[in-house]
Amino acid sequence: MKISRNWLKNYFDKPIPDANKLAEFFTFHSFEVEGVEEIGNESPAVSLLVETALPRSLCSSEDCSRPSDTASIADFIIDVKVLPDRAHYCLSHKGIAGEVSVLTGQAIKDLKIPDMLEATTEVGPMYKPSIIIQDRKFCRRYMGRYVENITVNQSLEWMKRFLEAIGQRSISGIVDATNFCMFDIGQPLHAFDADKIKGVIVVRPAKASEKMILLDGTEITLTTDDSVIADDAGPLAIAGVKGGKRAEVTSSTKRIFMESANFNPTAVRRTSTKYNLRSESSKRYENEITPELVSLGMNNICALIKEMNPEAKFGPIVDVYPVKAKQTVIDFDPAYIEKRLGVKFPFDEAKSILERMGIIIKGGDTSRWKLTIPFDRLDLTIREDIVEEIGRVYGYEHIKGILPPKTNMPVEILPIYYLSEMIRNNLVAQGFSEVSLYTLVEKGDIETAKPLARDKAFARKNLVDSTMTCVEKNALNADLLGLQTIKVFEIGKVFSKEGERLVLSLGVAQVKKIKGVKNESILVDALKTLKENISLFGNETKDSVVDIIDNPKIITKGNHAVCEIDLEEILKSIKLPAGASYKDLNFMPSSSNHYEKISLYPFIVRDIAVFVPESIQALNVWESIKKGIGATNAKELLVRHSLFDTFKKEGKVSYAFRLVFQSLERTLTDEEANAIMEKIYEVMKDKEWEVR
Amino acid sequence: MSDLPKSVRIIGMKPEQIGHLHPITQTIREIYSIFYDMGFEVAQGPELEYEYYNFDALNIPADHPSRDMQDTFWVKENVSKNPTKGPLGQNLGKRLLTTQTSAVQIRFMETHKPPFRVFVPGKIFRNEATDATHESQFYQIEGLLVEKNVSLAHLKGTLEHVFKKLFGEECEIRFRPSYFPFVEPGIEIDIKWKDRWLEVIGAGLVHPEVLCIGGLNPEEWQGFAFAFGVDRIAMLKFGIDDIRFLYNGDLRLINQF
Repeated sequence: MKISRNWLKNYFDKPIPDANKLAEFFTFHSFEVEGVEEIGNESPAVSLLVETALPRSLCSSEDCSRPSDTASIADFIIDVKVLPDRAHYCLSHKGIAGEVSVLTGQAIKDLKIPDMLEATTEVGPMYKPSIIIQDRKFCRRYMGRYVENITVNQSLEWMKRFLEAIGQRSISGIVDATNFCMFDIGQPLHAFDADKIKGVIVVRPAKASEKMILLDGTEITLTTDDSVIADDAGPLAIAGVKGGKRAEVTSSTKRIFMESANFNPTAVRRTSTKYNLRSESSKRYENEITPELVSLGMNNICALIKEMNPEAKFGPIVDVYPVKAKQTVIDFDPAYIEKRLGVKFPFDEAKSILERMGIIIKGGDTSRWKLTIPFDRLDLTIREDIVEEIGRVYGYEHIKGILPPKTNMPVEILPIYYLSEMIRNNLVAQGFSEVSLYTLVEKGDIETAKPLARDKAFARKNLVDSTMTCVEKNALNADLLGLQTIKVFEIGKVFSKEGERLVLSLGVAQVKKIKGVKNESILVDALKTLKENISLFGNETKDSVVDIIDNPKIITKGNHAVCEIDLEEILKSIKLPAGASYKDLNFMPSSSNHYEKISLYPFIVRDIAVFVPESIQALNVWESIKKGIGATNAKELLVRHSLFDTFKKEGKVSYAFRLVFQSLERTLTDEEANAIMEKIYEVMKDKEWEVR
Repeated sequence: MSDLPKSVRIIGMKPEQIGHLHPITQTIREIYSIFYDMGFEVAQGPELEYEYYNFDALNIPADHPSRDMQDTFWVKENVSKNPTKGPLGQNLGKRLLTTQTSAVQIRFMETHKPPFRVFVPGKIFRNEATDATHESQFYQIEGLLVEKNVSLAHLKGTLEHVFKKLFGEECEIRFRPSYFPFVEPGIEIDIKWKDRWLEVIGAGLVHPEVLCIGGLNPEEWQGFAFAFGVDRIAMLKFGIDDIRFLYNGDLRLINQF
């Protein structure tokens, strides 16, 4: 919610902290601040100077009044992220001012808003509205009155400016006033054109397929789960959510019916969600506000109408309030503060914090406290809530960390986790790299309701499909990876109508075919080695494991092969060794490598084979290759090299190196690669080595 | 060879000889080793979870604004006339892809007697648009400790210990007030990484309502719980700048670690 600092200032006699200081207070004591923005000042630097350089006492007189129409309109907007717990009372400037008061200790001043609850006339066309609440659970309170002799269009400059400061467009005098009141105290209000209302006002469930046209002109078909404000002719508004067109306040409106009401949070949320009609009003209702706020809402809106229309006449108020709200009382043991915060806490400090929140405390230092909670603090219901209030206002930085007492309990093993981690160790040792692929894919048994994309609508039914794609893609980068065989595995969940299972998939792709070695046999051998490892678990390895592992269902496609093993089945047929401990798995600290960006551009491979005397070692040859590359200033283009072949013949040795070149910024050309190779050949020539 | 990029292999070593653990696995293992020494055992839950464990039992009722805090992948299926029941006869509700490892809290409480210390590494899902820092799937680590006389000081001490081990002695943590319906007080924890404060952990004292639903007496037992994203930690530790690289199966990344 956007908060205007100028608006907040109205609540205090004394100057309040600057916007950044307020943001810091909120961040460490209330809620997150999403941003602080300075607005409405052509030269912000000057304003900042004034904000920070003037002694507080000098700006106090200007600081605490409504800005006059000619005053500077510089303001600071603090965007606070109010979460559902504090949304009962903090979706308003009044609520935020309350926080400022609690955090700074500054008292909130008497705003001197006139008492507007008495009628100014009861004769003539002004009359008492008839209001009926059909469902008390839905409508907890409904207050209404007629106001006449008004001009709708006449808005107030300061009000427009406040609304615009927090991103609200000025619409008309009456609508601005209801919006201002809502953002000021948190009570949604609604004005209807009184001359368009026919008969009795009823808060009732909508009839099946009942239609109404909203303020924006769209027609909506309601169901009996929705509630409406209706008159004899039908719905006037969707209660708490959106007004209707029929009794809309327009520039020709002379008399209005003003509503201040309280509706059920769940019902408002359901309706606003169903029709995608989230409004500032529905937001406040769905977070629940106290019905006690209704009368303040009615009073303040009428005071504003009076300010805009001094000639306005106010009819009597009808207040239907079937079940009066009760104040929460919490029985609180002050010793509980220290127990939960873990820090010594002076009781008088705790009391002072709670009293600043308007909580009434009965009971002394040694006895339990009876805490009477203000109506609007619907978030405070249990003693833990009180501990949080004290902790956050006092400041969590005062809590010094202590370790929980040492425990002698042995750490229980979770067999499926132990098995998975053991398999990971085994496969990595066998040269397989672990991948983690997407659970949401194009096809499967379990479909999600609102997928991010059509090809990500289902939970995967197997791992092998994505493993296959994964080895295919990696095979294209084999030279870059320095691999002749791509070997990957994944351990993950698969989903079917019967539920989910943990499975292992293996994938292999021979990029450079090794004579006599089939992809299938690589998988079979890997599983054999894995089985030996699993067999060490216990001597009760049953045939089924042997079966699962010995006869894997291998799928081949071109140069690639994949298979999948159900780990839950394996777990069923083995026993963990007695005294198994995670220590056996030798968890190592993670790699200390820093990620190097992957180039988006293609790479170029060049092989070079050199015949050298037997006394020359591979490293000497490599140094010479490096020297050649160094001469071209292309050092950073060499991203991978390997010695892929060595053989001896007639007192000489041949070393064959594969060099992979790639740029992070562009596509390398063959000419560039050739130029590098030429430099290398030159070095070889100088050494009188034979390039083959 | 020190002037060459790190990824260049040392001559003579056959690259196929050894594979690489995924960076997420490496990170979870390193973190678990620290928790293991503090007596935490591993627990896990399903990825296809029921509404009851993921939300209701965690004090996040249907039609409450707190449900908006996480965008959920609900399973597209007709709500059964005979809904699945939990061990206590509770209606487990609709199915979804789990949005938080916290869902394992209640499952664990239902089947274990305190005191306990639990470490839950798990894959979770959020129905939100993806970019360099957001993925629809990622890993979370949940910690849950239920004992007698547990305070926020224990939570702070535990996480200070863990993150100093993980990021070095100079690493600091700080608490800010926040809201998660299943803890009270609710705390957001920032970690100081290279002179910047990063919002990393959600935590708090286990809400008495959650203990009750888990079958524990809150007068006798208290606990703390916390959760943080593994991907975030891995990205910080390894300097990975796009979360999506963790799930595309590209060995050009995985084999760097």
